Amino acid sequence: MIMKKEILLQLQNISVYYGGVKALDSVDISLDKGEIVALVGPNGAGKSTILKAIFGLAPIHSGKVLWHEKEIEPIPHEAAQRGIAFIPQGRRVFSHLTVEENLEIGGFILKDKHKLNRRIEEIMETFPILRQKKKAKSGTLSGGQQQMLALARGLMTDPKVLLFDEPSLGLAPKIAKEVFAKIKEINEKHKTAIMVVEHNIKFSLKITHRAYVLNKGEIVAKDTSQKLLKSDVLEKIFMGKLV
Amino acid sequence: MEIFSQLIFNSIIAGAVYALIALGFNLIYGATKFLNLAHGVMTAIGGYTVFYFTKTLDWNIYLAVIIGILFAGLIGFSLDKFVYFPLRKRKASNMVLLVASFGAFTAIQAIIAILFNSRFQTLSQNTSAQKSFEIFGGVITQTQLIILASAALIMTGLVLLLHKTRFGKAIKAISDDEEVAKIVGINTNKIIGYVFFIGSAIAGFAGILVGFDTGIEPTMGLDLLFKGVIASIVGGIGNLYGGVLGAFLLGFVENFGIWKISGDWKDAIAFALLIVFLIFRPRGIMNK
Ligand SMILES: Nc1ncnc2c1ncn2[C@@H]1O[C@H](COP(=O)(O)OP(=O)(O)O)[C@@H](O)[C@H]1O
Ligand SMILES: [Mg+2]
Repeated sequence: MIMKKEILLQLQNISVYYGGVKALDSVDISLDKGEIVALVGPNGAGKSTILKAIFGLAPIHSGKVLWHEKEIEPIPHEAAQRGIAFIPQGRRVFSHLTVEENLEIGGFILKDKHKLNRRIEEIMETFPILRQKKKAKSGTLSGGQQQMLALARGLMTDPKVLLFDEPSLGLAPKIAKEVFAKIKEINEKHKTAIMVVEHNIKFSLKITHRAYVLNKGEIVAKDTSQKLLKSDVLEKIFMGKLV
Repeated sequence: MEIFSQLIFNSIIAGAVYALIALGFNLIYGATKFLNLAHGVMTAIGGYTVFYFTKTLDWNIYLAVIIGILFAGLIGFSLDKFVYFPLRKRKASNMVLLVASFGAFTAIQAIIAILFNSRFQTLSQNTSAQKSFEIFGGVITQTQLIILASAALIMTGLVLLLHKTRFGKAIKAISDDEEVAKIVGINTNKIIGYVFFIGSAIAGFAGILVGFDTGIEPTMGLDLLFKGVIASIVGGIGNLYGGVLGAFLLGFVENFGIWKISGDWKDAIAFALLIVFLIFRPRGIMNK
């Protein structure tokens, strides 16, 4: 990338313990303006925990979270105000509420009612399927539609940073491709910086600029996605050869 | 015919009181997913606050009622802030919260019994002068009409609050998925605090109404708690409309159940209704 680097988000030396179990061990990660970064690694590596830590949803034992190079205390409901959106693992739409209500709540921090309605309109332009289903209870949507809704809900605030945990999990390959196409589109159109956790390495490395490889709570490799695709690091980890 | 009309009135009035308790109980359950047993004692807090300000201090009765409602709300809010919130923060299970709420119930009830005597006493100024109306052969008192009107008002108010305001949306979001509600920027702990205030204030108001209709005693909260919980479970726990429906169903079953037998059977009938639902429809009427 030629444009000047502007660091939006950084984790420095972050360690997380669940009870006595270490889930993250001195992790350093950064996300620059406009880029898409992948976090890859086997199940239980700590990928979700990284995203949760940024939102204050994981018990941080030591280390710092920085936003625009200033240390912040991660508090869940404040992250959205800063301009960070998080789409957690497992398509967690508000299932008892309609598609439209989900979007309204996604824009909860927009206090101006007109602005909120305008934003819902814009989002429905980007996601035509959600307009068709706007009065449907989101629990009745298909998996792919729910994932689109979760993404759309995250975009309601027009965030500067989007954290997306396992976009393709449980989706048919064709649907997963659509979700990834949307992610790429959002990054290119709105310059939204995106950090995506993805177990499907081919998918994620194709659409991302850089990637971090995690194993057992530690970052074992980081490089541009293209280089990682060519190297054998991933294969080793996923075959369990790298301990 | 007369008895029939009277039983209908009694059922509706009982249903309205239970509905007020179930509303707050379900509102709190929806947001926190634990059974807040201390909810029952809010009725006694409301009732005794009014008793203290009117009978001991001789204050204006309307002012006393407002103070009673606010005080019950404040106690509910404080319980959340100083007991439940710290427990939730430490990821205490819902069972721990339930036990804590029962502890709070018992402690507050004991304090009321110490501060006031345990006698059953009414809040009405002069019972004999109370206006009553005869409709279809049944008798309904002025107090009871106020109970019905205020219950209707509160239910309407809550529906509007939930559906028309940002606050209502936040509550719906929290009830559905608290963690995601935080993620989209809702200060869930603050909202839950308000929910405790509102729910407890309504329960306090219910206790005040009962106090004017019949009377208060320190242990009144237990009976009303059971009725509110039964109404909630029968209607569908966490579901506001379900709770109201369950409350009126309970009111009718209870009052018509004792048509030919002694009124002492009321509680037994209420529990029978609960057991029937627990066996055949544990999710209640409204929950799928
Ligand atoms: N809430 C939790 N309580 C206890 N352990 C947890 C919790 N969440 C995650 N862990 C543990 O932390 C480690 C990392 O989990 P996670 O970040 O979810 O991995 P990934 O997303 O890479 O699959 C795992 O060993 C997991 O069992
Ligand atoms: Mg994960």
